[in-house]
Amino acid sequence: MTLLEELELAKQAALAAVTAAPDLASLDHAKGSATGPEGRFTVLMRRLGSLAKEERPAAGKAFNAAKAEIEAALAARRGELELRAAVPREPFDFTAPGRRRGTGRLHPLTRVTDDIVRAFRRHGFAVADGPEIEDERHCFDALNTPAEHPARDAQDTFFVAAAGRPLLRTHTSSVQVRVMETMAPPIRIVVPGRVFRRDNADATHNPTFHQIEGLYVDRNVTMGDLKGTVEAVFHELLGDDVRLRFRPHYFSYTEPSLEIDFTNALVRKLGKEWLEIAGCGMVHPKVFENVGYDPEAWSGWAFGFGIERIAMLRYGVTDIRAFYENDVRFLRQF
Amino acid sequence: MKVTLNWLKEHVDFDWSPAGLAERLTMLGLEVEGMEHRPGELEGVVVAHVVSRDPHPNADRLSVCRVNDGKGERQIVCGAQNFKAGDKVPLILPGASLPPKPGETQPFTIKVGKIRGVESHGMLCSADELGIDAEGTGHRREDGLLILREDALPGQPLAAYLGRSGPDVVYDLEVTPNRPDLNSVLGIAREISAVTGNPLRGVETGYEEAAGAADAAGLVGVRVEAPEACHRYTARVVRGVRVGPSPGWLQSRLAQVGLRSINNVVDVTNLVMLETGQPLHAFDLRLLGRDADGRPTVVVRRAREGETFTTLDGVERRLGPESVLVADPGKGIALAGVMGGLNTGIQPDTTDVLVESAWFDPANIRRTSKALGLRTDASYRFERGADVGAADMASRRAVRWILELAGGAAAGGVVDAWPVRVPANEIALRPLRVRQVLGIEVPEDEAWRHLKALGLQGPSDGPGGATVWRVPTWRVDLKQEIDLVEEVARLHGVDRIPSTAPRGARGSHPFDATYDVWMELRRMLAGHGLNEAQGQTLVSGASARMASGEVVSLSNPLSSDMDVLRPSLMPGLMDVLRHNMSRRNADVRLFEIGRVFRGGEAGVTEGWRLGIAMTGARNPAFWAGEERDARCDLADLKGVVEEVLEWFGLRGVVFSRRAEPTTLWMESATLALGGKRELGQMGQVLPTVARRHDLRDPVLMAELDLDVLLARRNAVRSAKSLAAFPSSQRDVAMVVDESVTHDAVLAAVRAAKPANLESVELFDVFRGRHVSSGQKSVAYSFTYRAADRTLKDEEVTASHQRVVEAFRGVLRATIRE
Repeated sequence: MTLLEELELAKQAALAAVTAAPDLASLDHAKGSATGPEGRFTVLMRRLGSLAKEERPAAGKAFNAAKAEIEAALAARRGELELRAAVPREPFDFTAPGRRRGTGRLHPLTRVTDDIVRAFRRHGFAVADGPEIEDERHCFDALNTPAEHPARDAQDTFFVAAAGRPLLRTHTSSVQVRVMETMAPPIRIVVPGRVFRRDNADATHNPTFHQIEGLYVDRNVTMGDLKGTVEAVFHELLGDDVRLRFRPHYFSYTEPSLEIDFTNALVRKLGKEWLEIAGCGMVHPKVFENVGYDPEAWSGWAFGFGIERIAMLRYGVTDIRAFYENDVRFLRQF
Repeated sequence: MKVTLNWLKEHVDFDWSPAGLAERLTMLGLEVEGMEHRPGELEGVVVAHVVSRDPHPNADRLSVCRVNDGKGERQIVCGAQNFKAGDKVPLILPGASLPPKPGETQPFTIKVGKIRGVESHGMLCSADELGIDAEGTGHRREDGLLILREDALPGQPLAAYLGRSGPDVVYDLEVTPNRPDLNSVLGIAREISAVTGNPLRGVETGYEEAAGAADAAGLVGVRVEAPEACHRYTARVVRGVRVGPSPGWLQSRLAQVGLRSINNVVDVTNLVMLETGQPLHAFDLRLLGRDADGRPTVVVRRAREGETFTTLDGVERRLGPESVLVADPGKGIALAGVMGGLNTGIQPDTTDVLVESAWFDPANIRRTSKALGLRTDASYRFERGADVGAADMASRRAVRWILELAGGAAAGGVVDAWPVRVPANEIALRPLRVRQVLGIEVPEDEAWRHLKALGLQGPSDGPGGATVWRVPTWRVDLKQEIDLVEEVARLHGVDRIPSTAPRGARGSHPFDATYDVWMELRRMLAGHGLNEAQGQTLVSGASARMASGEVVSLSNPLSSDMDVLRPSLMPGLMDVLRHNMSRRNADVRLFEIGRVFRGGEAGVTEGWRLGIAMTGARNPAFWAGEERDARCDLADLKGVVEEVLEWFGLRGVVFSRRAEPTTLWMESATLALGGKRELGQMGQVLPTVARRHDLRDPVLMAELDLDVLLARRNAVRSAKSLAAFPSSQRDVAMVVDESVTHDAVLAAVRAAKPANLESVELFDVFRGRHVSSGQKSVAYSFTYRAADRTLKDEEVTASHQRVVEAFRGVLRATIRE
C-alpha cells in the first residue's frame, strides 16, 4: 500500500468518524485521532519525507487537500452539534399567551370627542373652552333665553350654593358668549365639554354629560355654509353613506333654527327611518347684540350635539351610566 | 298635540298619504313623534234595505231575505222576527267581524255559508250584536234587528250613519314652545294651507240669538281687577240647556286625541280648544254670587295671601297674590287659566251656562301652574301664549256648539272686557336680508306669498326698500326681521337651500393648544397601562370631605349622594375602584383628567386635575415568572408620576413625605415645584379607608394640578451629541439609617463635587440579614466620563473617593466592601 493509498484510507476513516460523532466530545475525540499530535493523519504526514523527491510535491498537495476536507467536515459537524446543544429542552409554545406590559385605553367619550374635534379642526376650527360653573348671563340671558323659559327652571338646572347664584352650565353654548365677549370676529371654534342637567340617572340620562358645538362667525355667513360644514363634519364622523336631513326647529339663540336627522345602515337596522342627532341654526341677532357684535356686519351659525348619544350609537352602548361607572372590562373594549 | 288626518282635512285640502303628511309636517318644523292608524268603528257594517222577506224552506223560525247593500242585492238568512220588507237594518258583510261580547276573547268573523241548506251572504244585526246602545243612539230598543231611521242610505257605513268615526290616522306632534298657535287643529291646517296654497276653511261661528233674549250684559257682569295678568275676558250666556252625554261622534273624536268625554257642555269647551287653541271654561251661572246690582258677576283678581280654593279635581289649594283667581263677589270660582272650581262647574241639572274665553298672562300662568304642580291643557296653552284675538271667535264657536248639542237659548251679545290692548306688531323685512342669511335668492313674490299665507298682513312700504308686515295675534313668536326670514326659509323648504363647502376664516383660541396637551397626556398615560376613567362631577358631600374641606355644594341637589361638586378626582376614583371590586375586577389602574371645584373666600374656583388610582396586580396575568403575583405599590405609582413630570419637562420636583398618616393616607407625600408651588400629592390610602370601599390590596392614588403643570411645562427638547469616550463605573454599597433618603444621598454626592461624574443610579435597597433594624443597605452605581478623553483609572478613583468620604462623613454610612 502506498502512502497515498494509506492517506486515502485515513481520510475516509476520519470523515466517517466526524460525520458519526453524536456530540461535541465525540467530535473532539474524532478530531484528535485524525489530526491530533498522535493522530493517524499526523503520523502519516511524518512519513512524507521518506518519499522520493519528485513524488513529494504531489503527495504534499494531496495531504493538504485531505486535511482541508477533514477540517471543513469538522467545522460543519461542529456547527450542527452546537446548534443541537443550544436548542432548549422545553420547547416554546407559540400558541400560549405572551407576557404583556398592558397598555390602557382612552375612555370612549374621549375617543368620540377627539374624532369630532378632528373633523372640525380639518375645517379650520380651533378648540375652545369655558368654565363649567356659569352665571345666568352667559348660560341664558346673553343667549336670548328669556327668564320665563322652561330651560331656566330650577327644576332643570343645578344651582351652586354661593353668592351670585352661580349655576352648572346646561349647555356648552355658554362658551359662545364667553369667546365672543373676549375675541373680535371672525370666530371659528369647536367647544367640547361637560354640561349638567337636573335629571335623575337612568339608561338615557346622567346629570353629568358631554356636548360639543361649533360656532362660526364671519362676514356673509349663510345657512348654506351651515349646511355645508355640518355635512362635511358628519360625513367624516359617520362615514360617506350617511344622509342628513335638516328640518325647522326652535332654539332661542338661533334663528332660523334647524334640527338635524341622519340615516345610514345603522339607523335602518334600528328599524328607524331617521334619527335626530343635532341642533343648529344661524346665530340670533340678539345674541350678537348681547356680546357687542354688529348683527348687520357679522353673521354666523352654531351647531351642537350630545357626545354620549353619538358614542352610544357608535359602540352599541345601551345604558349611558356605563360611561360613568368605568368598569375596566367596559373600558378595555375601546 | 294630537290631531287626526280627517280632522285636518275638514279645514284644508291636501292629497298627501298619511306618511306624506307626517313628512311634510316634520319638514315644516312640526315633528311627528308618533303616528297611529286607527281602524274605523263598525267596519264592514253597512245600512241594508230589506227588499223581500220569505220563509225559510227548512226552518220555521228563519227567513230568507233579499237586501240591497247599496251595490246590489244579496241573500241573507235571518232569525229575527221584528222586521219587514222596506225596513233599513244593519248588515255585516262577509269577512268583517262582530265586536267580541263580554267574556269572549275572539271577535266573530262572518263567512258566506249555508244555514239549513240556504246560502247566506252576511248577517243582519241587532244592537246588542254590534255593541250599540239603541236608545242612546235614538232608536227603539227591541228584540231582534236594530231598525234604522228612514233617512239611512243603503250602502252607507253604519259608523257614518251613527256619526261614529271612520278609519283615521292620529298624529302626535311635538310643538316647539315658541309656536303656541300650533296647539290647535286650525293652526296646523293653516300651515298646510300655507305650504299647499289651498285655502284654509275656518270654523263656523254664527248662531242665532233667541228672539227677545236678554242681553248677556244684563245677565252677567265682568270686572277685571288684574288687567296686567288678564288682558281680555269675554263672557257669553246660554240659558235653558240640557246637560247630557255627547253624541257619539264627539265622544270618539275626543277619545282619538286622548280626552275623556264628560258631558255635552264641557266636551264643547274642549272641542273648541282643540279646534282653535283657545282654552274655554263653562260655569253654571246659577252658582255665581251676585254683585250689588243683582247681576252674577265675574271678578278677575289676584288671590289673597293664604286664600284657599278647591279646584275641579277636588284638591284644596292654598294660593297667594302671585296667582290670579276668577271669582264672584264672594268667592273664587276658577284658578285663572289653569282649572275651574269645584263650586261652580257644570252639573247634571245645570240649565244656564256662562262661557268664559279669556287671555291670561303666560308668565303668570306658568308660575301658578308650577307652584301648584298642576298642569292642564289650558295652562299648557296659556303659558305658551294664547291668541288674544281669538277669544271672541272661540266663544262664539262654543255657543254655536252648545245650542246644537245641548239646546237652550243664547243671550244677546257678549260681555267683552278688554282692558289691555297690545297693538299689532309690525316688522320690516329687507329682501337683501333674506339672501344674506339663507345664501339663496327667494323671489320676492314667493316670499310675500308665504308670509301672506301665514296670516301676515302687508306689505306696506318701509324705509330703504323694506316691506312692512303686520303680525297676526296668534303668531306671538314673530318679533323681528330674522323671524320673518325664518318663515320664508321654512316655507321655501330648508332642504332646498344648497350647501356650500366650508370656507372663510381659520379659527384660533388659547385653549386649542391645551386640548392637544391633554390628549397627548392621555395617550401617554394609556401607554403606561392606565385606563382612562370619566367620573361624575357631582359626588356625595361625605366622600368629597374625605379629600378636601373647601367643598362647593349645590343649592338644589337631586339626592344626597350627588350634592356637592367634586373638590378632587380622588373620591370619584375611589368609588370607581369600589364599583370594579363589586364586579370582581380586582386589578384596576386608572387615570382621569377633569375639573375640580373649590369654594372659599374668593368665590368658587375650578381647575384641571390629573388623578391616578391603582390597586391589585402589578402586571397583567401571566403563567410564569416571579413577578406574576406582585401587587401594585407606591413605587409603581411613583414611576407613573415621574413619567408625567418628565413628560411636562419638569425637573426639581420635591417630594415631601408627610410625617404622620392623615384621615385618607397611610403614607403620603406632597409634591412641590422649587419647594414652593404645590403640584399635588400621592400616597397609599389607609387600609381602613380602603376596606370601607371593599378594597383589600394596597390602594395607591395621586392627584396633580394640571393648571400648574401646564403653566410650568417645558416642551423644548434638544439633542446632545452622544459621548465619544468610554466611561468608568464604580459601585458603592453601604449601610445607613432608615432616615437617610435617596434625596439625602444625592445631596451628599452633589456636595462632594466629584469631578467627571456623569450619573448616579440606585440599584439595590436591602434590609434584613446582616443589617440591623432601623438601618438599610443601599447600593449605588456611579458613572464617570469626560467629554474629551478617556479617563485614567487614578482620576476616577480620586473622584470617587470624595464621594465615599462624603457618605462616611455626612451620612454616617458604613461602606460595605
